[in-house]
Amino acid sequence: MPPQASEQVGDKASSQLGHGGDDQVRLTLPARPEYVRLARITASGLASRLGFSWDEIEDLRLAVDELCHALLSPLPTDGTMRLRYAMADDAIEVFARLDQGPGKAVRAPAIGDLSHQILSALVDEHRLVDPESSLWIRKVRRDPAP
Amino acid sequence: MALEENRRQELRDKFGEFATSRDPELRKALVEAHIGLAEFLARRFNNRGEALDDLVQVASLALVKAVDRFDPDRGVEFSTYATHTIAGELKRHFRDRGWAVRAPRRMQELYLRLGQIVSTLSQELGRSPTIAEMARSAGVSEEEVLEALEAGQAYRSSSLDSPGGAGEDQGDDLSTRLGEDDPGFERAEGRAILSPLVAELPARQQQILQLRFYEGLTQSEIAQELGISQMHVSRLLSRSLMFLRSRAAENAPG
Repeated sequence: MPPQASEQVGDKASSQLGHGGDDQVRLTLPARPEYVRLARITASGLASRLGFSWDEIEDLRLAVDELCHALLSPLPTDGTMRLRYAMADDAIEVFARLDQGPGKAVRAPAIGDLSHQILSALVDEHRLVDPESSLWIRKVRRDPAP
Repeated sequence: MALEENRRQELRDKFGEFATSRDPELRKALVEAHIGLAEFLARRFNNRGEALDDLVQVASLALVKAVDRFDPDRGVEFSTYATHTIAGELKRHFRDRGWAVRAPRRMQELYLRLGQIVSTLSQELGRSPTIAEMARSAGVSEEEVLEALEAGQAYRSSSLDSPGGAGEDQGDDLSTRLGEDDPGFERAEGRAILSPLVAELPARQQQILQLRFYEGLTQSEIAQELGISQMHVSRLLSRSLMFLRSRAAENAPG
């Protein structure tokens, strides 16, 4: 059962952040591997603003990489990756979903056991949200800020 | 790389024999005999913003390819043929890097400097540094640090540098077979935990996956444990995951 096309990426799960300084950044990218770089660098830039450490940012980058490749597997012929980054004081969330264009059902991200194991180690929480059309991760800053 | 004449003749004979027998042991011997050539060529491409170990890996895989494809009846010396093949693959490696290759030289140099900075700051602070701290130490902006970290990664869609990848080349798990990746290194226990594909990776990459994804060590802790740089751990991790993804995609039905 496909969700409504008009639905914003992951909005239904945004209560995860609670209230407070929750800035959001949205990124819309062609669904092609060469654009995954921008998803990664956006994540690392935002996490850096929140004072994440190098170790944590390296993990976040790998996680976003995993997220995007789950969307792109198998590689769609057409479409758009929609990413939404939501920031709290000490955590960042990323929602990712593949939009295959008007009139086409949203394809559920392909996430196998290996991806689950990888994401479990890299981020604090991850799951399918928005009736399983988006992937969601949450990473909390652990290392003490300077 | 001047070899004595009788040694040359011995190698020619081996190539002649390998051309018909395709004996894996012989193949291994031929690759080992020329591994110095691969390393020599990799070093000639060094200092262009790519880590030497990555280049050596690319060159080594190209060497295996050269051994497999060399036709001794053509009348060309193997070293000539292999030099051509290996240099071609190294050039292609740089070309395929796309964005990373087009990154300004300054960025590539910054990436190499950041490797040192991460390790120095981690020791001084007793924790992983923030990007702001790294930027201050390097005397550049945070944006530049982030850009350099991204540019320095070996993110590639080609499977050329993935041992065991590239379906047409059976010899791609060179470092595993030769053990040159990591002398005396034990294969990680319990590698099947993640995926059977993990077994196709070189021993060190298996070990790093195990430590990060099963034992939960941070990248800095792994670097310390294995006595290698944090940047190296980071590169090997992203490369391993890319390899697993590409192999999983190959195996996927449809």
